[in-house]
Amino acid sequence: MIEASEVRKQFGPVQALGGVSFSARDGAITALLGPNGAGKTTLLRALVGMLKRDHGSITIDGVDPEKDPMTVRANIGFLTDQFGLYERLSTREYLTYFGELNGMGKVPLRQRIDEVSEMLAMDDILERRSKGFSQGQRIKVALARALLHRPRHLLLDEPTRGLDVMSTRAVRHALSALRSEGCCVVMATHVMQEVSHLCDDVIVIAKGHTVAQGSPQQLCQRTGIANLEDAFVSLVGTDEGIAA
Amino acid sequence: MKPKFLVVFLKEFKETLRDKRSLGLLVMFTLMYPAMLGYILHQQIERATRPEREGIELAVIGAAQAPTLMAQLKQKNITVRDTRDMGEDGIGELLRSRKVAAVLRLPESFGKDYQAMRPARIELWYDSATEQDNRRRDIEDVLSAYESNIAGARLLAHGVSPAILQPVHLQRYDTGTNAARSAGLIGSILGFLFFPAFICGLSAAVDSTAGERERRSLEVLMAQPARTWELVGGKWLAAGSLAIIGITLELMLAHAILSWLPLEEIGMSWRVTWRDLALVCLASVPLSLFAAGLQIAVAMNARSFKEAQSVLSFVMLVPMVPGLVVSMLELKTADWMYIVPMLSNQTLLRETAKGGELGALPYVLTFGCSLLGALVAVGFASWRMKSERYVLAV
Repeated sequence: MIEASEVRKQFGPVQALGGVSFSARDGAITALLGPNGAGKTTLLRALVGMLKRDHGSITIDGVDPEKDPMTVRANIGFLTDQFGLYERLSTREYLTYFGELNGMGKVPLRQRIDEVSEMLAMDDILERRSKGFSQGQRIKVALARALLHRPRHLLLDEPTRGLDVMSTRAVRHALSALRSEGCCVVMATHVMQEVSHLCDDVIVIAKGHTVAQGSPQQLCQRTGIANLEDAFVSLVGTDEGIAA
Repeated sequence: MKPKFLVVFLKEFKETLRDKRSLGLLVMFTLMYPAMLGYILHQQIERATRPEREGIELAVIGAAQAPTLMAQLKQKNITVRDTRDMGEDGIGELLRSRKVAAVLRLPESFGKDYQAMRPARIELWYDSATEQDNRRRDIEDVLSAYESNIAGARLLAHGVSPAILQPVHLQRYDTGTNAARSAGLIGSILGFLFFPAFICGLSAAVDSTAGERERRSLEVLMAQPARTWELVGGKWLAAGSLAIIGITLELMLAHAILSWLPLEEIGMSWRVTWRDLALVCLASVPLSLFAAGLQIAVAMNARSFKEAQSVLSFVMLVPMVPGLVVSMLELKTADWMYIVPMLSNQTLLRETAKGGELGALPYVLTFGCSLLGALVAVGFASWRMKSERYVLAV
């Protein structure tokens, strides 16, 4: 369970977050929708306690990431636009490194790596060094790293970008499985189809503010627009170029 | 469960060992560097001891015309090589080949002029670029002695004392020894023995900070449940241990080479036992850690590997400055020198090489000052990584 209320963050003259409030339930996939520059990255960084907020409150399973970042991070799988692979390590070594950083023991870690690798269909690249991996392979490895320590919360920034159809399906299946295990998944994405198929809840943020939260259907009802994409554009309030 | 800094350390260490570039640097500075120093010293010893061992070679054209001169040259241990006339180009070539110190040419008119008591011409050909001035001066001394002998004999024949022509008698004394000449060079070579501490860990330090930032993997690492000091500490130890391995091997190899070279020939001593060396190596461990800490604290602020390298190439000159200043000002060894990292190690090694009991204080100070510097650098790096401005720039 992730709860944020009135989170504000200012960098010098720039108001990155002007008041973000939302809650993401356990056992649900929550989509984070927002145009580029809406403050998604800042929000995600504040959620893991890398940035301190100026105002408002954040709790992750009741723990404030600013007060106890280690507990929060141990309970979060974090996938950003930086994959963070190491070219001179094989996938298994890479996963072992992050597993150990999360305090996992040797034997459970080895089992878990095999498990995650099967879940994401990446057995073929497990013993290879990541130099020369394709975009899809890189995302898989990064996603495996985020899932490795069985976090109760997942913060994913565009987890399916650059993936082919098969891999996208594998990722969606994995996310559905995690949802049924009771994980709280927050996923920033720009793919509307994914949102309407996969996500239970949608948070729309624009210019650092939460504009709306609800299920895809609720958002459509609220705006009176049947198409989710058009509803999103209307909520964000910048439809120039699209209406034309 | 492994401590997290150890996890980071092991991963960084493994990754660096897989990097050919950093391994290459490590091998070059542990093997090539002492070998190169040994070669330079060897050359120096060769050059310093050569004049004593062999005489001066002098090529003479038309030697038969002046047998007395030849005899006098031989007396002064100058080997005369009778050579046929070879023209200007031939002489130039012979001099450039450095087989002879100079060429003496007696023209055919020499005998006639000598008999007629006209100034008889003798040509001395030499190449000032070959740095054989000392030998040339020896030859010229023989020539002028020969000249005054003849002049004296002729004056005597006219009933005049030759002493009249010699109102002043100049005698030269050279107190400079070969040892003093090479001492400066060797002193600076000893100073450079500690330079690999700053080289061997460099690649690992830069790669694990600026490199990680450039490859966009630092954000992920910083979002892990590990404190910044654990991340920085692991990276620091990885770079530091490479530097420690590098400098220890290098010092041992240098010690082996320096013990083997006949340094006494150039008036230098290397009275270092393996026990002394072990103590110096131990006292130098924090120097490597200091170097690694400094490099990490600087490199983490660079956006790319290249940027970090160019900034660090300036930073790495800084530790060399105190040593250079001290040797330029020719300061005597003082206790304060043991509290300046790098300078303290250089001073310690130099004093150890002289032999004699140093006591524990220099070792402790050398160890402590670098360790303090290392901790300050790592503390700064951890604080910097935690700061919001750094997170934003990642």
